[in-house]
Amino acid sequence: MVASRTPESVPAAIARLGFDDPRRANALLDDPALEGLAGSPDRVDAGGLSEALARVADPDGALLGLVRFMESVAEHDGMRTEVVAALRDESVARTRLVAVLGGSSALADHLVAHPEHWTAATGATPLEPAERTRRLVEAVTAAGPEDGADALRVGYREQLLGIAALDLTAADPLEVLWDTAEALADLAAAALEAALTIARAQVGPDADKARLAVVAMGKAGGHELNYVSDVDVIFAAEPADGVPEDEAIAVATDLATRLMRLCSASTAAGSLWQVDPALRPEGKHGPLVRTVESHRAYYERWAKTWEFQALLKARPVAGDPDVGRAYHEAVQPMVWQASTREHFVADVQAMRRRVEDHIPAAEADRQLKLGAGGLRDVEFSVQLLQLVHGRADPSLRSPSTLEALGALSAGGYIGREDAATFGTAYRYLRALEHRIQLSRLRRTHLMPAADADLRRLGRAMGLRTSPAETVDKEWRARRREVRRLHERIFYRPLLSAVARLSDQDVRLTPEAARERLSALGFRDPAGALRHLEALTDGVSRRASIQRQLLPVMLGWFADEADPDAGLLAFRKISDELGSTHWYLRLLRDEGSAAERLAHTLARSRYAAGLLEQAPECVQFLGTAEGIAPRSREEILRRMRSAAGRKDDPESAMLAARTIRRSELFRVAVADLAGVLDTEGLGGAMTDLTSALLEVTLEQCLAEVAASGEVLTRVLVVGMGRLGGREQGYGSDADVLFVHDPLEGADEVEAQQQAMEVVRRLVALLGRPGPDPTLEVDAGLRPEGKSGPLVRSLASYREYYSRWSLVWEAQALLRAAPVAGDADLAGRFLDLVAPLRWPEGGLDAGQVREIRTLKARMESERLPRGADRKTHFKLGHGGLSDVEWVAQLVQLRHAHEHADLRTTSTLEALRAAARLGLVEEANAAALEEAWRLASAMRNAAVLYRGKGVDAVPTSDRDADGIGRVLGFPAGTSQELAERYRRVARRARTAFEDELYGDGT
Amino acid sequence: MDRQQEFVLRTIEERDIRFVRLWFTDVLGTLKSVAVAPAELEGAFAEGIGFDGSVIEGFARVYEADMLAKPDPSTFQVLPWRGETGGTARMFCDIRLPDGSPSLADPRHVLQRTLSRASDLGFTFYTHPEIEFFLLKQGWVPGASPEPIDTSGYFDHTPHGSSADFRRAAITMLETMGISVEFSHHEAAPGQNEIDLRYADALTTADNIMTFRTVVKEVALEQGIYATFMPKPFAEHAGSGMHTHMSLFEGDANAFHEPGAPYQLSKVGRQFIAGLLRHGAECAAVTNQYVNSYKRLWGGGEAPAHLTWGHNNRSALVRVPMYKPDKGQSTRVEVRSIDAACNPYLTFAVMLAAGLKGVEEGYELPPEAEDDVWSLTDGERRAMGIESMPASLLEAIEIMEDSELLAQTLGEHTFDFFLRNKRAEWADYRNQVTAFELERYLPSL
Repeated sequence: MVASRTPESVPAAIARLGFDDPRRANALLDDPALEGLAGSPDRVDAGGLSEALARVADPDGALLGLVRFMESVAEHDGMRTEVVAALRDESVARTRLVAVLGGSSALADHLVAHPEHWTAATGATPLEPAERTRRLVEAVTAAGPEDGADALRVGYREQLLGIAALDLTAADPLEVLWDTAEALADLAAAALEAALTIARAQVGPDADKARLAVVAMGKAGGHELNYVSDVDVIFAAEPADGVPEDEAIAVATDLATRLMRLCSASTAAGSLWQVDPALRPEGKHGPLVRTVESHRAYYERWAKTWEFQALLKARPVAGDPDVGRAYHEAVQPMVWQASTREHFVADVQAMRRRVEDHIPAAEADRQLKLGAGGLRDVEFSVQLLQLVHGRADPSLRSPSTLEALGALSAGGYIGREDAATFGTAYRYLRALEHRIQLSRLRRTHLMPAADADLRRLGRAMGLRTSPAETVDKEWRARRREVRRLHERIFYRPLLSAVARLSDQDVRLTPEAARERLSALGFRDPAGALRHLEALTDGVSRRASIQRQLLPVMLGWFADEADPDAGLLAFRKISDELGSTHWYLRLLRDEGSAAERLAHTLARSRYAAGLLEQAPECVQFLGTAEGIAPRSREEILRRMRSAAGRKDDPESAMLAARTIRRSELFRVAVADLAGVLDTEGLGGAMTDLTSALLEVTLEQCLAEVAASGEVLTRVLVVGMGRLGGREQGYGSDADVLFVHDPLEGADEVEAQQQAMEVVRRLVALLGRPGPDPTLEVDAGLRPEGKSGPLVRSLASYREYYSRWSLVWEAQALLRAAPVAGDADLAGRFLDLVAPLRWPEGGLDAGQVREIRTLKARMESERLPRGADRKTHFKLGHGGLSDVEWVAQLVQLRHAHEHADLRTTSTLEALRAAARLGLVEEANAAALEEAWRLASAMRNAAVLYRGKGVDAVPTSDRDADGIGRVLGFPAGTSQELAERYRRVARRARTAFEDELYGDGT
Repeated sequence: MDRQQEFVLRTIEERDIRFVRLWFTDVLGTLKSVAVAPAELEGAFAEGIGFDGSVIEGFARVYEADMLAKPDPSTFQVLPWRGETGGTARMFCDIRLPDGSPSLADPRHVLQRTLSRASDLGFTFYTHPEIEFFLLKQGWVPGASPEPIDTSGYFDHTPHGSSADFRRAAITMLETMGISVEFSHHEAAPGQNEIDLRYADALTTADNIMTFRTVVKEVALEQGIYATFMPKPFAEHAGSGMHTHMSLFEGDANAFHEPGAPYQLSKVGRQFIAGLLRHGAECAAVTNQYVNSYKRLWGGGEAPAHLTWGHNNRSALVRVPMYKPDKGQSTRVEVRSIDAACNPYLTFAVMLAAGLKGVEEGYELPPEAEDDVWSLTDGERRAMGIESMPASLLEAIEIMEDSELLAQTLGEHTFDFFLRNKRAEWADYRNQVTAFELERYLPSL
């Protein structure tokens, strides 16, 4: 009998051993239950129990568990002597038992409840899968169908004890990780088989009508299971001889349902894990059990690419082996044909995005599995590469993540060093997951939050000095490593195909590189490889920085409609700017610049074209303010100062237009980045156009002033979309020119001078220049093409008082001065006000005239061969329909409602709806159509570099335009579908409003 | 190359097939066929066979006409009527654009799209058509009355009748082609026959109907007679309909079945019928797509011109057939408006869409019509809230033009094409001066 001691006499030696609560430990060591085990009085002698306890993850827990276990042992006759004999001295048996008690409180509880299982831990050996199955099946058979579920749980835990004992006593947790994961998968398979045995017993003789096979998927199928996770399965069944198929399937479904319940349900003996059949064909809507043929038919016809990805891991584990084999043989070949399926590229891109976008995870900060740098990251990336390259290379076809990673590295698909780093990181994360789950046998993927738990985890990972801090630090470091994974394993090897990055890197073969580039969406992989080579070749600083940048940029190019064009444009711009001191620094150091550049280049030929002309504009991309469109005043100031530095008007204009080119690029980038909506874009483009008109006019007047006396004031009035502030990339500038002779000037001479100025203005703008030419169109002037290009204000007054036609009044609704003399502008607006907002509105004849004009215009103006349903401007539900509705309301009612006196189509439409002059629903339909048509026209210019008049019939164009507008890839027909639908509704609204007699 | 494609190629070799016909259907439901040599088939599986889509009714946009026909190997079938040495086989095709995406104008795709919408809701759609047609003597000339091959009536057994021979030959041929026939009999009118196909998923049924029409016409030619699916060839006799039984399954369970409910009809079933009734008029231009169709619909008798439902009420548009005990899986509804000349792909698509709309929006089923709807007066019908099917193709077009449901189901392209085509048909019809007008007006005016 050991003499009792007072608390004060806790030996310092015990306190040093690492118990959290040495006093309690000291007391427990005195517990009578441990008699014969605790050893000498100070209990810290070499090889003593205390020392053994001190080695485990949770010494306090282990000690408490041991006391409870020994108390339970004492209740079994004759057992105690044997246990004491085995545990008294330093031995493998003691190490194992204490490790289990200290590593898992759940298993400690099991040992207390079933002390007779202690030998499963002390005498643990690796077991063959068949042996595991035999033991479990025997146990449940002995228990019978009623108690089978309990026997299954008890037997399962018994074997789990052995697995945990071997795992927890290993010198290096990472070393044994795969043996453990494999053993857990085997044990899960054994449990499924045993559950099926019970189910068959419950069903009785009918059970023989079906031959049911259980196919493990996911981690169980990949032979790399966790301690506690859902076990993914698929069921396949065939009828027994002479049994009709539907009857057999009904029996098999009954068996499968029972099997799932037997594993998932909580009984008095606890629960195992959830069996999840959701990966089956048609998911949760599909039948639980299918025949092999039905599985095959599904995968042939309906399955999506991700479902093939899931099939990578399918492995029959229980039930009828022949059916299992038949299933495997039927579906396995199809996995490797997945990459020949349609939409494979689009699906792969979607999967890639899924990997990279990361599911926002709850408690993201503690997630082991989801989120950036989680386990899921590694698993998905590896599977993706398997799917891309596995068809050509059978060596990659492994269901296990780590094996596949090894094969990818051996085959040169990813760098050796990368593979090793990520392999280690992955193993480390998995080992953490194992230890966390083992502790309470709970399904969790969260790092513990409490310090004590972290400390336990650190110790379980073999850390002894400040275990809590160290494990947290190491985990974060691994997570960071994994986070750079995709870039490194997916894109970087592409460069290694053309450039030697480092000596460790195995070169990706050109074939494999082409395969991967086309899976990324490059249409000309060979060309892309040549560009990569040119960009990364050599020892210059530029090449070395680009080697760093390109792996990431390739991913961004691949997100867009035209990755090939993006890469090519990048090459051109780099060739141009590579030697400037700021270019590469900007891309490397300004976080968003490289990303924005890559997206812009691969999405928009228009922007890429502008940038190739003016590479220095790349600078805008560095900051958010850089892409904010500038105000008219700011643009005007810059244009004036640039023009002012030149001596002759031609050079001055070139300088101003160079400014316009930069500003166009700025607007395009802002538009592509989604900073501008349709109206914002219209405003920015209109400001840019009017500033250029202003500067041009100033130049022309200066020329006149230089050669003589100025006789007149000139005004440029914007009409159409320019007047409405609705300009797009391809819009002409519709204008009227007005002049007003100065006091005392001769009217004829003044008219001549004004004509000279205006002709010069049109000519200067029409010259080829650095920016896309701005077409000036004065076709809306009185008498059209046969009238003089410019008139004096008096002449306008004269003309309008005599001849004015309804269509002219309609056109004037959109008149807004954009450049020139401000005082004249005011007088011109006063002149046209009574024309465009006529007192009393329109008479019936005028309304009829407008309606007739519109109908005639539709039949005559639509170009030959154009599709009436999809022509943006003149088609049904197109821009002109919307504008005419707004304009008719304005002509009839603007005299009484000031809100209607606007040049903007949308503002007029909204005001009309507010005033009840247009039905709300109709106004909404019209506005939607107007916005969509405008947006599609602009997007077409951005994507193709030149405009389209109707919904494009080329799928590539439609796809590219759709992508600019934010449609997902490969939905070109949906774009057309969307336009037709919106336009159809707008047409109905138009007919209702323009021809209806309501208002 | 997957197994099914390999199977097809092997069969072609073993059975000494010399030509493979690739079948697809235009927007109006006319079967189109491209013959290819077996050597080209492997390429066709991989890439499809290119053709100029602009010549097919309703397929292509004007200037991008290139399309691909991609054979569906699961529909491979040797054609029995060219059974000398060196046979012919057929496969149905999906129509693709050059980038590989399915053409929205392909009626088969319209149906597939609607089916996958149903499957998103957890449903599969099964149909079972009863197809009526007339057998006529060959050699009809414009202006003359067509001549039926017999004068028998409903269920008449005609000893040595050519109708019976014909049906036997046709059914044998259908069965050799893997199309199961449930039932066949002589119909009410002279020369009129009915053959019922076994129920199957809607896509298979639609494929089968296309095959069926071809087989019936082929067999008729072999026997020196002429078969027609025209909805109403004789003013004085009933027309040819295609009553179609429909059911939705959720997994293996019939979603229309609910033990103990009236007619064992579940809530889903009731809402489905409500959808069919509420949108029946919008769908008419598709289910009854010809000028002639409306002469059958409004021809009285059993033709369902009113949007009602009933149990064993043969004047109702939707009939809930008698329930057989212990046959819960067979609970279904029968739509009686559809005629035998419809495009089965589009018809099934719009019917399914209408029914699903009822389910999704939880439509209330109006009370059942217990009387013969034809015997009611207009006033009674109005009082009972019974609406009618369109009276003419023009009316059907006008109703369809305002239908969002149809536009969404068919897709804007097909919707637009279909309406334009039907407007043109109506204009052609209106331009006629008919025998009726001459007979009635010429003598007196």
